[in-house]
Amino acid sequence: MNRLSLIVAVISATLLTAAPMLTASAAEIPTYAPPPAAPPPGTKLPTVVIMSMGGTIASRGTPRLNVANYGGKGVPRVDPQDWFNDEPELATIANIRLEDGRPPVDRASGETQGDDLRVAARLRVLMQDPTVDGVVVTHGTNTLAESAFLMNLIIDTAKPIVFVGSQRPWTALSGDGPRNLYDAVRVAGTKEAAGKGVLHCMNQYINTARDVSKTSAYRVQTFKGIDVGAIGFADPDIVKFYREPLRRHTMASEFAGRDYKDLPNVEIAYAYRDAPGYIIDAMVANGAKGIVIDGTGAGSPTTSQTDAIKRAQAKGVVVVATARTHGGRVQDTPRRREAKIVPGDNLVPEKARILLQLALTKTKDVADIQRIFNEY
Amino acid sequence: MIRSLLWCSCFVLLASAPVQAGALPQVRLFTTGGTIQSKGAHRQKLMEYSDGRVTPSELVDDLPELRDVAQLSYAEISNVGSGNIDTKTLLTLAQQVNAWLALPEAAGAVVTHGTATLEETAYFLNLTVKSDKPVVVVGAMRPFTAVSRDGPMNLYNAVRVAATPQAKDMGVMILLNDEINAARDTTKNNTYRVDTFIARDVGPLGFADSDSIVFYRRPIYRHTSHSEFDVSKLTSLPRVDVLYAYQESDDAAVKAFVSAGAKGIVNSGGYSEPLAALKDKGVVVVQSDRKGSGRVVKSEKVAAKGQVTADNLPPQKARILLRLALTKTTDPVEIQRIFDEY
Repeated sequence: MNRLSLIVAVISATLLTAAPMLTASAAEIPTYAPPPAAPPPGTKLPTVVIMSMGGTIASRGTPRLNVANYGGKGVPRVDPQDWFNDEPELATIANIRLEDGRPPVDRASGETQGDDLRVAARLRVLMQDPTVDGVVVTHGTNTLAESAFLMNLIIDTAKPIVFVGSQRPWTALSGDGPRNLYDAVRVAGTKEAAGKGVLHCMNQYINTARDVSKTSAYRVQTFKGIDVGAIGFADPDIVKFYREPLRRHTMASEFAGRDYKDLPNVEIAYAYRDAPGYIIDAMVANGAKGIVIDGTGAGSPTTSQTDAIKRAQAKGVVVVATARTHGGRVQDTPRRREAKIVPGDNLVPEKARILLQLALTKTKDVADIQRIFNEY
Repeated sequence: MIRSLLWCSCFVLLASAPVQAGALPQVRLFTTGGTIQSKGAHRQKLMEYSDGRVTPSELVDDLPELRDVAQLSYAEISNVGSGNIDTKTLLTLAQQVNAWLALPEAAGAVVTHGTATLEETAYFLNLTVKSDKPVVVVGAMRPFTAVSRDGPMNLYNAVRVAATPQAKDMGVMILLNDEINAARDTTKNNTYRVDTFIARDVGPLGFADSDSIVFYRRPIYRHTSHSEFDVSKLTSLPRVDVLYAYQESDDAAVKAFVSAGAKGIVNSGGYSEPLAALKDKGVVVVQSDRKGSGRVVKSEKVAAKGQVTADNLPPQKARILLRLALTKTTDPVEIQRIFDEY
């Protein structure tokens, strides 16, 4: 063995022994430059709680080019402490407290609305804590906007709650998680973020929970306020806001100020050419108290669906119409009024469902539910 | 020209007492011209339409539906394409809108304007109107004579918004294509299509839908009654020019601007070499960007050069704000404060 091959052998042995350590902690964030310097001693930092609800941002993919087929049963997750260890500069912008709100790793079902309500109850307690200035909630991006909108309606606080996720696993090449998490903590620690309802921050855009939707399956610029745009930006120099949202939320919500164990059953029926009404009949037979019809164009059901809607209404089921265009408002028209179908404004159906669930905890009166959809 | 137009406008003001009785809100239409007041040779002509101008009375008589929305009066400021709107017209417009809105019976104002520079006039009004009553700037992408013209519905919706109490304190708004946009944030985005006005960074404030006027957002940056700028006694504004940035752009244009009397220059890109010599000449430099969205971030490097960053204002709007800022101060630190707030 000559000297060169000896060196190669030594390096290989080092790599072999180092490899298991890499999987033990998520050490894939590039360290080509050092983290930023800590602020001068005595700097007053905001206290921000990072609440993990999991998601891609809490997932590991192997190898690092795996951005589509990661996670699953038995695969180690990224724990809140891993985020903190991997990104120590979080401590230079806030006093970080970590909470784990994920369901147990061995639970059969994935995340449910029950998990949202459980975490919401915990968030309500955290928001009462005078030492907490803001909260960041991590979440899988697929249903992030639904969870955020639910929190927007039931948590009675003016302090910032910022939802964040990532499109690529925490461990991926060019992973967007670390910067998104850093920016979300910055926003949660910003005074100007207070009183604007639950917010969302990814890819530097700050959106409102009510108006934001995931619009692209895999690309990092996926969350958009389709109708009304972002309200601010987490830019490299500063967090800056341009808009005050006007719809009722958080402190001004009539649904906030209590914990919920569960919510009334509301289902969504999609409209398309020849969409049948029997799906709606099945939903009602299964106990649905409300139906959101995601209508064509400006919120129209098919003839068969219209007949089923009448049958459902006869059984006391409340029907809300949204538009599958996912942009633009379903309007309040005389014909829709006559049919007692509540126009869902410009809410996407999955959010109209949440608002209808909460509305049904208070009333079954169509006029009052119409008022709720006009105000929230 | 301007004098005769002013004379005309006074005449029209006198001649245009509201004709409707009842409790409808009083809205005044200030007309400046543009495609919305242009006639084409035939009804499929969507370009080069210069076959006559539409007078304010034609515009209003064309829309009897407005009688159910507001008590409408009108005043003609000019009747020109927006490329011909000059500083004097801007100042006259702001002064007349302010005089109208100061009247207790005034509910709101609508301004017709050519779309090419509409956003500049709208932002100027956003900074100089001294009232929280609604001011809506409206235009059209297709002339008055065209089939499928967008002007009448735009004008109808603009008057609806100007007559809506919820539109108070939104700053000056731009209305085309059912969308209510904030003057500060909205830019013409397409040469001919009807959905041209877009707030690229932050989106619209609300919508003029057929069932109701709906608002989702309120602007945070300072505007109208919260603005520190007062043009009531001004007859001119400091000269500010825009430098377009491109590869190998040099200081030739900068020198020409300065010798023409520019007190400020807005740069549209990151190439600041041609501007380095301006620091000691008392010419204020604002760094904007030609990309059309996103903020120019604040940095100590730029501040050390005595330059100002324009936030997310495009160059043509940074120019408007800089002209007004220069009526108050030439201190770059103070002007930076102004760009951070407006």
